[in-house]
Amino acid sequence: MDSTRPTMLAIMDIHKSFGSVEVLKGISADIPKGELLTFVGPSGCGKTTLLRIIGGFAAATSGRVILDGEDISNLPPNMRNTKMVFQSYALFPHMTVAKNVGFGLKLQKWPRKKIDARVEELLALVHLEGLGGRSIERLSGGQQQRVALARALALEPKVLLLDEPLSNLDANLRVVMRDEIRNIQERIQITTIFVTHDQYEAMSISDRLLVLHKGVIQQIGSPVDIYERPANEFIAGFVGYVNFLEGRVEAVNAESNTVSVLTEFGRLDLDHDQKEVGVGDQVLMVIRPETVSLSAWGGGESQNTFHGAVESQMYAGNLAKYTVKFGQKEMVIDHYNPMGSRKYAKNDKVKVTIPRKIHMLKRQAA
Amino acid sequence: MAESVLKVVPGRSVWYRLRAFFNANLINLFAGGLFALLAIFLLYPIVSVLVFSLWGDEGFTFSFYAEFFSYNFYYWSLLNTLILGLATMIILVIIGFCFAYLTTRGPLWLRKPLKIIALMPLAAPPYIFSISLITLFGKNGLINNFFHLDFNIYSWTGVIAAQVLAFLPLSFMMIENVLNAVNPSLEESASDMGASEFRIMRSITIPLAAPGMLKAALLVFVMTIAEFGNPAILGGRTPFLAPDTYLMITGEADFNMASVLSVVLILPCILIFILHNFVLSGKGYTTIVGKPTAAELRPIDPVIKIPFLILCIPVGIMVLLSFGVIVLGAFVKIVGVDNTFVIDHVLNTQSNSAIWNSFKVSLGAGLFGALVGTLLAYVIMRGKFPGRRVMEMLALSGFALPGTVIGVGYIIAFNRPPFLLTGTIWIIILNCVFRFLAVGVEAGISKLHQISVEIEEASADLGADFLTIFFKVILPIMFSAFVAGFIYTFMTTMMSLSSVIFLVAPGFDLASVYIFLTAQLGELGVASATTLKVIAIVVLCMGLLQIVSRKMGLNVKKQGA
Repeated sequence: MDSTRPTMLAIMDIHKSFGSVEVLKGISADIPKGELLTFVGPSGCGKTTLLRIIGGFAAATSGRVILDGEDISNLPPNMRNTKMVFQSYALFPHMTVAKNVGFGLKLQKWPRKKIDARVEELLALVHLEGLGGRSIERLSGGQQQRVALARALALEPKVLLLDEPLSNLDANLRVVMRDEIRNIQERIQITTIFVTHDQYEAMSISDRLLVLHKGVIQQIGSPVDIYERPANEFIAGFVGYVNFLEGRVEAVNAESNTVSVLTEFGRLDLDHDQKEVGVGDQVLMVIRPETVSLSAWGGGESQNTFHGAVESQMYAGNLAKYTVKFGQKEMVIDHYNPMGSRKYAKNDKVKVTIPRKIHMLKRQAA
Repeated sequence: MAESVLKVVPGRSVWYRLRAFFNANLINLFAGGLFALLAIFLLYPIVSVLVFSLWGDEGFTFSFYAEFFSYNFYYWSLLNTLILGLATMIILVIIGFCFAYLTTRGPLWLRKPLKIIALMPLAAPPYIFSISLITLFGKNGLINNFFHLDFNIYSWTGVIAAQVLAFLPLSFMMIENVLNAVNPSLEESASDMGASEFRIMRSITIPLAAPGMLKAALLVFVMTIAEFGNPAILGGRTPFLAPDTYLMITGEADFNMASVLSVVLILPCILIFILHNFVLSGKGYTTIVGKPTAAELRPIDPVIKIPFLILCIPVGIMVLLSFGVIVLGAFVKIVGVDNTFVIDHVLNTQSNSAIWNSFKVSLGAGLFGALVGTLLAYVIMRGKFPGRRVMEMLALSGFALPGTVIGVGYIIAFNRPPFLLTGTIWIIILNCVFRFLAVGVEAGISKLHQISVEIEEASADLGADFLTIFFKVILPIMFSAFVAGFIYTFMTTMMSLSSVIFLVAPGFDLASVYIFLTAQLGELGVASATTLKVIAIVVLCMGLLQIVSRKMGLNVKKQGA
């Protein structure tokens, strides 16, 4: 992330309780100008509540919201320069597309001519040229989504808030609109917060993700950080399937920058890029199914190689999914692009190679 | 989650502060005003009835109740009313079920005509059937004469027949809804496992529909015991509570006894209202899951079809005949005696002035009722003050309470200061507004259910304050509910008799009252002609309501008139 960019929005130690239930337990984050940050987490993690606090629809129990250097914590939504695209789009059913988009401008008492011009410009931005006179009910879901986006962008807010905007669309359209939103966001360089519970959507649209769970930030980072270097077990499991492997660090070789870990399968020699891990530490290795390679039984014991038997297999075209059993332990392996390569059947003996680059989570000392 | 009550930045001018005040408090101001209206025009009359039943010249007393239970006459009146309700209820549940079963599961070509016939009585006031039954079975009735029968229509049979025909749509609509909600695949799977049509009905359809049918039965019971017109016209010497209350006021000017009769009439209604809302609420197995399955017809067994048709066809013929006789009566000198064509009945000036009066009253009640109903719906749905449930119950209670009771309540409550209204047109309008509020409120609530709170939040997000949101977003969106409330109130006011009959000033006849009086005097021609005009207006309203609902995506539940 380009850290030289100035902070547009800062949230500082936000707490929120509903009665005795604390749903946000001290959330702080800085969002630089022009960034698309996603709040992601399982349902009930507090992400929508946090977004509503930023938009002014809910009051935080404590904490502050700073927009472009100005404390807006106590301002009602109509006095904040943040605009929201609602999950239901919340388009006014009794107004045309153009009237919807121009609603905020009209409230600002813009002259009619200027409103019309601005509305045209916005409709062009969201690819709805010429549909200004349509009634809302005669639009498709995707088009309604675009109107909602244009309406929120009309007043050139400092921050755009998107509350699960794609959840009402069907699968194909969701991908199209996701890319479209990202495209527009990058084009006009607007600071954006996107809320979703879908981790793939979050990874593919964001500059950074803020992973929320149980009212606490689990990790803030780029999609690469989150996927390849998850901060804890929850995140590792949340953003994709993962094989966990327990182990203990046996030796660290500073010169070759390698580390030896003793696991249930045997010894693993890995690249050492996590300084906080030292000799004697209990670690949990995060092994993604697609990083492991599979080959036929045979050959000698080479580095990081184990022998096992196929427990089950599933062929899905673009990948073949195997569950391989080593004694009592199982591992899921995704073999991408299996076309032309050997397929294995149940009970086939196979050789599994674990790559040297594996992310390790240090276990807290019991 | 909606918690947008945040501090408003202090402003400078008086205008700014005034605006800020309204922004923060308008919804509460509305709530206060509406509460006051409900209290004055609904609660106060009802409480007045209660007080008058317990408060004589010497203060608090139970003597009026003692009187009620010591005279055979009153005692019989109560018993008769309950018997009438029970008999009508049982007959209507059976017939309603037969109609609904055939329209939801019967042969396709039969569905539409049966449905239209079952709903036809909605287009007419309930007491139309008294007039047509007299025309058909009265002393010189068409059928009596034709078959040389000596059938007496002024009897139990007559009253029950009129009630059954009048409330057929209510029973049919509720049961049809229930039967529609029973997933057809359940019946298909039973059939798949080898169950006969009769077996399916007995062990799948009826058990699944039972809770909904019970609700229908209770509602029919309440509506029929509260009905005034039919027992008053056809009851003859048999006493019934609703007409007796009327006689108590007009004949003997005994407000205390009229109040006692009213309270006695209310009790079963309240009991059933509570049962309906609390005991039965949420009970029912009929949930719609997934997409409706393609309706490949399961051929209905003749063993079921034929007996059902045998029950439905005579009822259907009676409905059609009733309407036919009204048309005939309107254009013929005296049906069955002097069948020459005349236009006099239709042109009758008294009839026309009564229609005009009704039109004015209905227009006023429609406009005011729709306004109050829409605002109530908004306040109930979006307000954040305690007592919203109570407010809703109060607003809906006007519909549940017998018209005669509210009528008695209004003359007691508003014939002295501070609210001296008796004899004016306003007392009639207000009475109709608050009796028929339920539909406007429900239309508004259903509209607001469709509109996500996010719409209001989005407006705020785009910079609108509460006043702007209210006038630019909420009111326009709720306009369709307003229109629906208006048409419905207009229509029901046009037909309403039981309550307004207490309130009309001498010389100021409403259509319904005029029909009632002429029917009692045996002037069937004028009664028929006036009824025909009312029907024409009501049918027009229903058409409009249909268009409005379809155009504006409203879901207005039709309820008994």
